[in-house]
Parts: sequence; C-alpha cells; structure tokens
Amino acid sequence: MIRMHQNEATLIIDHEKSLCLCKGAWSILSINNLLNAIDNIAFPSSQSVKISGEEITEFDSAGALALIQCQQKLRKETSNVELIHFNQKQLALINLLEKNHQSIDYTPPPPIKHDPLYELGKEAVFKLTQIDGLVILIGSLTDRMFAAAGNWKRFQFPSLVSNIYTTGLQALPIIALLSFLIGVVLAYQMGLQLETYGANSFIAYLSGLACFREFAPLITAIIVAGRTSSSYTAHIGTMKLNEEIDAIETMGLSPVELLVLPKLLALLVVFPLLIFWSDVFSIFGAMLLSKIELGVGYIEFMTSINDTVGAKQMLLGLYKAPVFAILIALVGCFQGFNVEANASSIGRQTTKSVVQALFLIIIADAAYSIIYSWLRL
Amino acid sequence: MDENIIEVTGLKNYLGGQWVHKDINLTVKRGEILAIIGGSGSGKTTLLRCILMLLKPTAGTIRLFNKEISHLSEQSIQALRRRWGMLFQHSALFSSMTVLENIMFPMQEFTLLNKKFMQELAMLKLSLTGLPNQAANKYPAELSGGMQRRAATARAIAMDPELLFLDEPTTGLDPIGARQFDELVVFLRDALHLTIVMISHDVESLRQCTDRVAFIGEGKVLCIAPFEELRKNSHPLIADYFSNYEE
Repeated sequence: MIRMHQNEATLIIDHEKSLCLCKGAWSILSINNLLNAIDNIAFPSSQSVKISGEEITEFDSAGALALIQCQQKLRKETSNVELIHFNQKQLALINLLEKNHQSIDYTPPPPIKHDPLYELGKEAVFKLTQIDGLVILIGSLTDRMFAAAGNWKRFQFPSLVSNIYTTGLQALPIIALLSFLIGVVLAYQMGLQLETYGANSFIAYLSGLACFREFAPLITAIIVAGRTSSSYTAHIGTMKLNEEIDAIETMGLSPVELLVLPKLLALLVVFPLLIFWSDVFSIFGAMLLSKIELGVGYIEFMTSINDTVGAKQMLLGLYKAPVFAILIALVGCFQGFNVEANASSIGRQTTKSVVQALFLIIIADAAYSIIYSWLRL
Repeated sequence: MDENIIEVTGLKNYLGGQWVHKDINLTVKRGEILAIIGGSGSGKTTLLRCILMLLKPTAGTIRLFNKEISHLSEQSIQALRRRWGMLFQHSALFSSMTVLENIMFPMQEFTLLNKKFMQELAMLKLSLTGLPNQAANKYPAELSGGMQRRAATARAIAMDPELLFLDEPTTGLDPIGARQFDELVVFLRDALHLTIVMISHDVESLRQCTDRVAFIGEGKVLCIAPFEELRKNSHPLIADYFSNYEE
C-alpha cells in the first residue's frame, strides 16, 4: 500500500470491446500524467462504453475526480457510460463527489481590480487616516505625560530602565565601531586633499566640525533607527497580535502610557549620550589617522580642536538628539499599533517603521541645517 | 480489515527531569476513531508528538503502517508524512493566505497538478468539511473559530491521508458547533476511509464519535476500551475523571 510514483495511473482504451481499463494508482501523487494526457485520449466512439476499475490499485478523491472528468468527456460522444468492477468504497467515493459537484465547479470570483484613480484615492485616504492616527498618538502621549507628571510611579521606572539598557547600553559597541570607522575614512579623504596644499594642520578643524555637527548625530540616528524603531514595532505588534494590547485596554489602563511613554523617555535620555559617545570615537578615529597619514601629533590635534571648533559645535550636534529620539520612538510605536491580524503584517510594518524613521531623520537633519544657517551658527 | 496502523510498544519518555511515560502500549486499527484522554500533564500531547515524529522517545518502539519509525531514511519519513494529516489545536492556518490557498498549499508543494484541478479538489475538501463556497476566498482571520477549525481540517485532508490526527478538535467551540464537528469527524472517516486519532477533553464528543478510548495516567495506558465500558472502569483516576459527568 505504499504510494509510489512508479505506479502511475493510466487509462487503456480497448476500441473493439468499447472498454476503458483504469490501471495503477489513481491517487493524488500519481495522477498528474494522466490528467495532462486526458485531452489527447481517443475515447471509443460507440453507443455504450464501459469503464472498468478492475486493475486500480489505489483510489482516492483525486482519482475519483479524474474519473468523473473522463466520464464527462465520454458523455459528450456516447449516450451510455457504465462503470464496472468498481468496489463499494470506490463507488461511494464517486457518488460523494457527484453529490458535491456544485462546490467542485465553483470558481471563486477573482479579486476585484480597481482603476488607478480608485487606488489613488484609497491610498490618499489611507495616508490621511495614518496622519490622523499619528496625531491621536501624539495627543494621548502628551496627555498621559501631563497626567503622570504628578505621580512619579506612573512613569514605569523598571520598564524605563530596561529600555535604556536595550536601546542605549547594548548599542554602545556598534556605535563605537562605526563612528571610529567614519572618523578614519573622513580624515583619510580630507587628508589627501589637504596634503596637496600643505595645509595638514587644518585636519583637526575640518574633521572636528564635520563629526560634531553632522556625522556623529546622523550615524547614531541611523543605527538607533535600525535597531530600536524596528524592535519597538515588533514588540508592540506582537503584543497586538496576542491581544495583549486589548487586555491592557480592558483593564482600564492605557497602552500608550504603559508601552510608548517609557520607550520614548528612554530614548530621550539615551540619545544625547549616544551622540556624545559617537563624537568621542569618530574624533579618536580621525586623530589616529591624522598622526599616521599626516603626521599631526595627538596633542596638536586636540588643542587645535579645542581652539578652532570648541564645545559650541558639539552642542549644535547634541541639540538634534531630542528631535531624532522623538521621531524614532513615535514612528516605531505607531507602526507597531498598525499591525493587523496576520503574520506577514509584522514584517511589513517593521520595514515601514525603519524606512520612515530614516526618511524623517534625514528631513529633520536638513531642517536643522537650514535653521542653523538662518541663525548664522 | 483488522490491520494495525499504529503500534506503540514500551514507549518511555523522560522529559524535564521526570518520567512522562513509563510504559505506553497502544494499537490503532485501520478505520477506527480512537481518542486519547487523561488528566492534564499526563502526556497526551507528548505521545502524539512522538507518533508524529516531532519528538524522539527515550525508549520504546513506534510502528506506523507496519514500519518501525526509528530506522527510516529521510526519504521514507517524508513519504510517511504525506500519508497523514494533522489538525492543530489552534488551527495553525497560514494567516497570509486565503482558505483556498491554504488547502491548495500541500498540493502545490507535493504534486505537479495543474491549478484548475487542484482548485476543484480543494473546493471538494472545502465542501466535505461543511464550509460554504464563499468561504474559499476569505482569510482565516475573517472566519469564526468553528469555521477555522473546519478549514484546517480541509487542509489536513488535502492530500487524501489515510491517518488523521486531531488535537482537541472541539475545545473552544460552542456546544452546537462541537456536536456538528463530531458529526463531521464520523462523516469523514466513513467517506474517505480515514483512521482518526484524537486528543479530546470533550466527554460528549468521546461518547458520540469514538470507537475506542485510551485513558493515559501514571505514565501508562490505564485502560483502552469503548467509551461506555471505560466509564465504568473502577480505577480511581478514571472514576475521578468522569465523576462530574452525568448523562
């Protein structure tokens, strides 16, 4: 009774006796060749044809369906089709299929296709409701923040600390490594140009300015967006799938207060520290390369940074931290709440949250540049 | 046909620092509906997982379709897996596919049949499980619990298995839905000549649709008998299990 592919289902036509002999295993795994050939079979063309099941070794519902299709083909030409040598079980199965023919013939309607204009409108409405949702989230977040302000217990201290640990502490090695590499690359590229003009000592000013103002905040934001906003989305999304969000709400608690607030506060606390950490390592990388490639000594480099760049430029970079932190936390949590009841939705929303967070960070960074230039900083 | 489809002999399982099974002996005959019952933590699901080859037993032999499963090649294991269907407790339908796609999924993976034939076959399975035609295009999340259970059953019988495992098929269904599901189980057994092994806590469904019931307790099969006979068994665990049940 092992199902073997070798034991293919076949149909042997005996034109003289007007007989179709079914042979082999008429089962789902071995019926394919017969089905492909079914249109080319020359069925006997006499008045009454017999189909014999004498040599069938296996017969399941796929086989029965194939047999019924053979019968239908025969009926087009001949008036009388008879099944012989089928046992009780096989006949019962054929009967069962005939009884259910309405369902078998039912073709589910193809998915409705809308014209581009409809799709455009739908997308626009969808985007508007998304903005609406975001505004509501921001609103309830501020509301919760003020409500919680009178009672420090409501700031979810343990949750805050664990969020600081995962978003801050665990990100330190990767931020250090990447910032160091960026510092090295930056100093190398600028060093090549400066060397041709003999302006080696300017390396400290240039790389300091670039790292403090742009690179350190941006690199940090990119890493945090990749690590943290995706993890926020997956966390809240999974909770939503498990109906944990609904559970929190039915207890009369606020998911925004319990989940979003600690995440946002943790990121707000951690982000400037991470940018500073990135400052340190990118400058370290630039300093190392300046010594090796351009022969600018460590002390010379550091004094030059202190004199020409100064703490002011570093602060200009650090001012970006709160905006980046809010953007990343909001987008991550918001996309998490948007997860729907299926598994692929989590993946989709996580992708969205990272892409949108990066997009918004770049926009915000551009806005900062414009504002700084207005203020002549 | 009094052929044994499953033969478990001397099965022992040591899990999480304790003996879940001490000596399980169980046979399932072709064409019967056998239920496995027992208190919670008695190892019903573990036994099922052993039979489904999801868990390697500590000791003992399991023979499926007269083949000892511990000595099979990967290829024969795959062939064996195609001969059974499993209905999981929480349906385990793929949430990103429609019901029809769910049923067609195993066919697409194992056969080269053309799409129309597969669709017709899938629609047949759908209607055998008592779902309306319109359910074909719906996503699992749009169906009620009972309908999800039916759709999952349709997927389990997609490849015309000889053996069907049901893990608590009526748990979480309302009494009417549960009785209808019992009828479905018996109907499928008769229509498709299935052998069915189920884990159940639903006493009414044990009474209605099983041929034999195996009671697991103390790491052994304490009694295996038709329901009415089992109910009269005087073993304290069994008596306790049925103590709240009155006709």
